[in-house]
Amino acid sequence: MLSALIWIPILGVALLGFWPSPIADNRTRRLALIVAGVALLWTIILASRFSAANVGPQFLENLPWIEPLGLSYKLSLDGLSLPLVAINSLLTWIAIYSSDESIHRPRLYYALILLINAGVAGAFLAQNLLLFFLFYELELIPLYLLIAIWGGPRRGYAATKFLIYTAVSGILILAAFLGLTGLSGSSSFNYNPLLTQALPLGQQFLLLGALLVGFGIKIPLVPFHTWLPDAHVEASTPVSVLLAGVLLKLGTYGLLRFGLGLFPEAWAIWAPWLASWAVVSVLYGAFTAIAQKDMKQMVAYSSIAHMGYVLLACAAATPLSILGTVFQMISHGLISALLFLLVGVVYKKTGSRDLNVLRGLLNTERGLPLIGSLMVLGVMASAGIPGMVGFISEFLVFRGSFPVFPTQTLLCMVGTGLTSVYFLLLVNNTFFGRLTVPSQGTQRLGDVNLPPVQWVERTPAIALTILIFVLGLQPGWMVRWTETTTTALVVNSTVAQVSTAANGFKADSAMRVPIKAAPATRPLPNGETLRSDLSVIVPRSGSND
Amino acid sequence: MIKTTLRSSTHPLAAYIEQLKTGGGLVPDRPENVLEVVGILKSYGVVLEAYYKNLLYIAEHQFLELFPFFKYFNGEVSPAKLLRHWWHDRINFEYAEYCMKAMFWHGGGGLDAYLDSPEFRTRAQSVIQAKVQGNWLISGLNQLFPEFLPEQVRQFTYYSALGQFWRVMSEIFLTLSDHYDQGKIESIPQVVAHIQAGLVAAATLPITYAVTVRGQVYDIIPESVGLTFLPDTAVPYVEAVFFRGTPFLGTVSYNAQANQISPDPSRFNYGALYADPLPIGGAGIPPTLLMQDMRHFLPEYLHQVYRQNLRGEDDLRVQICQSFQKSMFCVTTAAILGLAPYPLDTADPEQQQANQSYFEQWMDRFLSSRLEDVQA
Repeated sequence: MLSALIWIPILGVALLGFWPSPIADNRTRRLALIVAGVALLWTIILASRFSAANVGPQFLENLPWIEPLGLSYKLSLDGLSLPLVAINSLLTWIAIYSSDESIHRPRLYYALILLINAGVAGAFLAQNLLLFFLFYELELIPLYLLIAIWGGPRRGYAATKFLIYTAVSGILILAAFLGLTGLSGSSSFNYNPLLTQALPLGQQFLLLGALLVGFGIKIPLVPFHTWLPDAHVEASTPVSVLLAGVLLKLGTYGLLRFGLGLFPEAWAIWAPWLASWAVVSVLYGAFTAIAQKDMKQMVAYSSIAHMGYVLLACAAATPLSILGTVFQMISHGLISALLFLLVGVVYKKTGSRDLNVLRGLLNTERGLPLIGSLMVLGVMASAGIPGMVGFISEFLVFRGSFPVFPTQTLLCMVGTGLTSVYFLLLVNNTFFGRLTVPSQGTQRLGDVNLPPVQWVERTPAIALTILIFVLGLQPGWMVRWTETTTTALVVNSTVAQVSTAANGFKADSAMRVPIKAAPATRPLPNGETLRSDLSVIVPRSGSND
Repeated sequence: MIKTTLRSSTHPLAAYIEQLKTGGGLVPDRPENVLEVVGILKSYGVVLEAYYKNLLYIAEHQFLELFPFFKYFNGEVSPAKLLRHWWHDRINFEYAEYCMKAMFWHGGGGLDAYLDSPEFRTRAQSVIQAKVQGNWLISGLNQLFPEFLPEQVRQFTYYSALGQFWRVMSEIFLTLSDHYDQGKIESIPQVVAHIQAGLVAAATLPITYAVTVRGQVYDIIPESVGLTFLPDTAVPYVEAVFFRGTPFLGTVSYNAQANQISPDPSRFNYGALYADPLPIGGAGIPPTLLMQDMRHFLPEYLHQVYRQNLRGEDDLRVQICQSFQKSMFCVTTAAILGLAPYPLDTADPEQQQANQSYFEQWMDRFLSSRLEDVQA
């Protein structure tokens, strides 16, 4: 069942790429939309069959592939990967839908987008470390080409920089996986949280360090972030949507699944430093965003700041904060996709993203009033205004992290305040005042006449806005898929630490603590425990009780 | 006899002076401009007709009504009309009042001078006495604040004066449209000539104002005062509404305390010839009100042109404003030509020089106007 999520897009890639006769441009687009639509539909079907109460991996598929290498084709879905798979399918469809209909070389373009979709889905589903790495690398080439061929004026520079950074990230991750398997003496790369128990702490630190830098580049965390603003600025709108909405999540997912999931002991020791790193990333991203004059660059730096919250919550590793990480990934995916879509429309209509030039785009007659209104909603969501998904995710992150790292959490909350600062600057500069766009030739100031915005350009943004509100008002609809898994992740980490401390006690999968029997708890520095009491803000759905 | 030739003007807008001297207008003579100007003046004529009727109704029937709840109803109050009013299916009569207040505030002409004269004061007092008779509250307040009601009367004279002015203008614009439909108008100079002829014909029309209180007629501006159409309403109107205006333009906020608005009203340049059409669409901005009203009465040939433009119906009101501005430059051309001190074809160098200086004075005022924009 899960394989379909990988092979449907690959089938689309094959059709688009290798169909012997020419295909009309509009048919290419339609075919890509159908393929992505089927994948999205399949994701919805999977979600409807997903058992929220089940802690273990679901829809397991396990085929031996290259046994001597320890590589097997092992896929499964749990509450952590389900939302990410869903947002991948959704944003791929939106990216294709919002692509320029007259784009040149459409067959290659849509094939590459579908290839990214397959690669990302595979990475989220893989239960084998080597398989994850293969999928992780698979999305790199198409993204490089998408920036290098359809990008802006400095696309060559940006694409190469992206390639170098992400390739280094891949090498580090591969090295960590090889090291882990080799040092633990395992013959298989299959994902197993108990793999690290026999390793001395020094080796764990080394491997975790490689993973942190590897995924830190992908997320990206300061100081490994410099590729991101360049890539965003040069990438076309749909590619930016995918990059911010989906691809960065590979980094945070990896951090959670492989960093926290495989190295709980080393993670717990480094956690305070990781939280401080998150603070640096959040504040650096936010302050740099304030200084930006390019709308896309501002949104890109805001991404860096907002991904820092995920690291903070991962470091805190309470059931609530881990739930917050998943929520933050989804919320950031939706919000940043929305913002990039809107900036894309502004750029397409005005020919500029310059905050020093653009003014008054909310003008009702000649500006972009609906796009402007959606932008106001988007930045409100990003700044964490209640009623929208950004509030829920940030609240979960801060509420979950505060008992563990109060100082770092408070400093990260400053970053939320700064979000309002830079996004108000953006909205105030470009959308209020007297309508002004860069002068085109001899055009006089008074005769600004922007081309009208078509509904096809508005619909994806409207759909994302609705989703942002729905999840903001009914977070329970997402929590119910995820909560069991994220809580178990923390419990497993705790169990793993305890069992390591018990000197040689070999835990097996039967040791997994059933969530019903033992409520998730995590010891706090002051000796208290923090329960995953989501009823504080999230209404529990019936199926969870 | 020494023959001198007139030096050509060195004014930055000298090109327009030459155009005026040779019978051209401030708006380029192109068929599409003729269509736009006549089409918009047609809808403006219809709107002006509604405005002037309401202004005269208010001046005559809502005189010194301090709470004129139904002043926009022209005496026909019915539940259906009230519902339509609340639904905003109506003419924005507020715009007419806005122009009236601009005229009242900027003053100028014989009407302004008359309103400060003892004769006006005596006439105003007698009508006020008649109106407040038996109303103890208002009588008492009138004793306490003796300047309040006379000022209200002054305002009502402007309601009436603007109503009378627009009655003539509405007629001029509607006949212009009829002539265009009959194929008699084909160029911008013909449009200007039509307007100029209308203004000249009405130039000496007397401006009077009388109200009936308790069955007795009170003359507030009797004919004996000698106020006439051109110098006492048309010229002050052009000055107040076309040139100076009021600094409420919508998205641009002026801070008077920071001296962003000139303390000298004669240096104001917020009028129709300077107005930025882009803020149109904002709620309550006076130009938006007018464009909204004209939208209902666009002739089909003009509407068709607007629909074919880049944003079609989306920016209809901005397009209307741009056409309207062109038409107002035509009206201004007519006024400038009509008020020229000497005939344009004079051979006398002194007269030519005087005409030139006269035109240069106008051009000084056009420096920051939208004159260059309407050339496009």
